[in-house]
Amino acid sequence: MQSKLSDIELIEQTLAGNQFAYADLVKRHQRFVFTLAMRFAKSREDAEEIAQDCFVKAYRSLGSFQGQSRFSTWLYSIVYTTAMTFLRKKRLDIDSIDDEGTFVQVEGHTSAFDTNNVENKSRSFYLNQAIEQLLPDDATIITLFYKGEQSLEEIAQTMGIETNTVKVKLFRARQRLKEKLERNLKHEVKELI
Amino acid sequence: MKTIEEKIWNYIDGNCTPAEQEAIARLIEQDEAYAAKYAELLALNAEFAAMELDEPSMGFNYKVMEAIRAEQALTPLKATINKKLILGIAAFFVLSILALLVLMGSNIQISEKFPVNVNLKLPDSAKLFNVSGEFKKTFVQSFFILDVILALFLTDSYLRRKKAAKQA
Repeated sequence: MQSKLSDIELIEQTLAGNQFAYADLVKRHQRFVFTLAMRFAKSREDAEEIAQDCFVKAYRSLGSFQGQSRFSTWLYSIVYTTAMTFLRKKRLDIDSIDDEGTFVQVEGHTSAFDTNNVENKSRSFYLNQAIEQLLPDDATIITLFYKGEQSLEEIAQTMGIETNTVKVKLFRARQRLKEKLERNLKHEVKELI
Repeated sequence: MKTIEEKIWNYIDGNCTPAEQEAIARLIEQDEAYAAKYAELLALNAEFAAMELDEPSMGFNYKVMEAIRAEQALTPLKATINKKLILGIAAFFVLSILALLVLMGSNIQISEKFPVNVNLKLPDSAKLFNVSGEFKKTFVQSFFILDVILALFLTDSYLRRKKAAKQA
């Protein structure tokens, strides 16, 4: 049985003219790239367009990939730049998503993470809902850190910022995500009552 | 000044120095506020790590590869022309100019008097057409001017490419 080829091996095969190797590379990274695109686009159609555009761009510039960083880091920086350009073009009203008045708060509730009384929806549903309510940069940092297996240095490289800035942004993004998650869960509890 | 939350996140992420790591571990053991915060953030960390990735549509991979194939099919002719062919044509013209200059140079008659008496004459072997007079003169002049223009054009495009490569 053939062992799983590394990203570098697949890139070498692609550069040698094997398009199937690139199809494998796309298959390997498409879920994460699509998820990152979703952090900016908010609609599946737009996210697919961004993700597709990223893979085409990456294919076009594959020859310039020097292997100094991981392929995933290089690819995610393309995703980030493409998504930012998309945002600028579409001029999404991201502030309205972050509108504080949209949610209902329940007074005197200390933490929502120890409540198990909301059983009709999975935890991941609430988490995804809360991530969708974050600003794209916050959602991107959280996603890159937890699902992209990226170090703070790699995230800094992807987003074109300093490592210390990433550290601060990650801390704030976590705080905001925690707040959104708690608020959404409290809202659900109130509706059930 | 770092907050408790900030310190504990750094502890969970492993971004502390060994001394800080030890100090926070001790605080978690001894201080109830630290212990409660640590438990809360640890649960939150596990929650975040369990985040699910979105799945693109079934035909996504196919669409990407189709887009790549379509782009390759649309590659302009300029990009697909063999560079060796271009260089070959350029070499032909350069050699033609050099050959012409050598032939002309071999026919220069220099007298002892000043100013130099230059008599440009093509050898008999170079007389490709049995034409004489004004037509021959015009033909040679036109050919020479054309070669000079082509040489300038090729030099210009070469320098432009070099400049573009330097800027990239």
